[in-house]
Amino acid sequence: MPSYTYGKTLLKVDDVSLEYDGRPILKHVSAEIRDIICTDHVQGQVVGFLGPSGIGKTQLFRIIAGLNKPTTGRVTINGADRPVQAGEVGVVAQDYPLFEHRTVMSNLLIAANQKEKDDKAAHDKVVQYLTEFELIDKARLYPVQLSGGQRQRCAIIQQILCSDHFLLMDEPFSGLDLLMLEKTSELIQKVANLDELNTIIVVTHDITAAAAVADHLWLMGREHDPSGNPLPGSHIAETYDLIERDLCWHPQIITQPRFMDFVREVKDRFRTL
Amino acid sequence: MNQAIEVLSPNRVISKQTVRWMVGFQLVLLFFIWIFSPTVFLPKPKEVLNALNEMWMEGLGGELITSFYLNLQAIALATLLSLGMAYLTVIPFFRPIVTLLSKLRFLSMVGLTFFFTLMATTGHELKLFLLVFSVSVFFVTGMAEVVASIPKEKYDLARTLRMGEWRVVYEVVIIGQADKAFEVLRQNAAMGWMMLTMVEGISRSEGGVGAMLLNQNKHFHLSAVFAIQLTILLLGLAQDYAIGLLRTVVCPYADLTLERK
Repeated sequence: MPSYTYGKTLLKVDDVSLEYDGRPILKHVSAEIRDIICTDHVQGQVVGFLGPSGIGKTQLFRIIAGLNKPTTGRVTINGADRPVQAGEVGVVAQDYPLFEHRTVMSNLLIAANQKEKDDKAAHDKVVQYLTEFELIDKARLYPVQLSGGQRQRCAIIQQILCSDHFLLMDEPFSGLDLLMLEKTSELIQKVANLDELNTIIVVTHDITAAAAVADHLWLMGREHDPSGNPLPGSHIAETYDLIERDLCWHPQIITQPRFMDFVREVKDRFRTL
Repeated sequence: MNQAIEVLSPNRVISKQTVRWMVGFQLVLLFFIWIFSPTVFLPKPKEVLNALNEMWMEGLGGELITSFYLNLQAIALATLLSLGMAYLTVIPFFRPIVTLLSKLRFLSMVGLTFFFTLMATTGHELKLFLLVFSVSVFFVTGMAEVVASIPKEKYDLARTLRMGEWRVVYEVVIIGQADKAFEVLRQNAAMGWMMLTMVEGISRSEGGVGAMLLNQNKHFHLSAVFAIQLTILLLGLAQDYAIGLLRTVVCPYADLTLERK
């Protein structure tokens, strides 16, 4: 395993609570993502965000993206002294929304121009990404003409171009066959490692896929009363550091027995949430 | 034989050539039914053609231009008003107003004539007001539904690209729904022709095909009625095609797809 250290805090979820009509959805959620510094290569961060259905993953996802405001607490990025704003954290939704009335090139330019005011520089950056992600020959097509995989890559590029190194991905493994699942995992790793500060949070139900791609896992759950009934309001019940356990950055880690043991451990914990 | 089974089976995709054959066959069948229909109320094609010739001599062409110009004016005004009102539904204050406007489609045009007569200074204006009102209440209903049905993800996409709320409205609601706006326009422009004949019956000051149609109807000149209806139908189809063509030029993405239906 390459040697690594933890650097500054990149994203901080600070005591976030959310209520709807007096009903608690999230309760004192706290977590942070720190820069992982490897001495010999560029290493981004990937966090797998897991939890049972209806636990409030989407609500926390929207708060981290700056799309919703929490009732109390806040999410900050890059040590800023203000809550995150929409646009600072990229969001790749499950069905990879794009502007259907714009071509691939136009979809990406509109994102690049939000950060890069110089048209030539924005265009060059878009071309660089299109080439990197093997979409350059699709630049003049409309989103409806793209395949699922091409659309996914286009949506990811669009968000990277506009956000500040942060990317939230909602269920990127949902409904994929084995081959596409591997490709998506590779894509996530590739995007994460494009820049030292790139940070991807993958929201998913797929424990194995999340463990295979992430360096940390967050498990959302609820507290239980003495008779075992879940109490309203969820929080991050468990975090796993896969680097510490030497379970990430290894090719073919998913074939190793210790990885399978780890997945089993997470699944057992998942059942108690 | 296989093709015949295909066209009669549910949810089948048929080739363009089969579509051409099928439509051709249906047109010929329709024509034969028309020719050999025993009913006396249905004038024969030759009678309709003769009537069309006579009507043309009596000035059908000029009346068509009058009606077409009025319809075009009304559609243009109704489009501006309706799109403006529908886009304003993004602001909560305007939603009840647009809902109320939409409900006015239940009102009868005849009942509104007196009110609009007081407002209008000429017969043309009266017809224009009536037509704009009648088309707008349907147009705004259709377009407001288009705006309301935009999924939240589209707005979120624009917001995650750091767009301010007015830019979100422009990108997602206005240009993002342009293809659907054309579709609503297409439906309402067709309805304009249907209402036009009624409006021209209410105010006959400039004539028009509506007034002509009512005159022929009054005297039971069925061949002439058919001839005028046929002319309106052809003009309407041409208008429909032109709007469709404009939609394809302005929104080339609208008809693209990877899937077969």
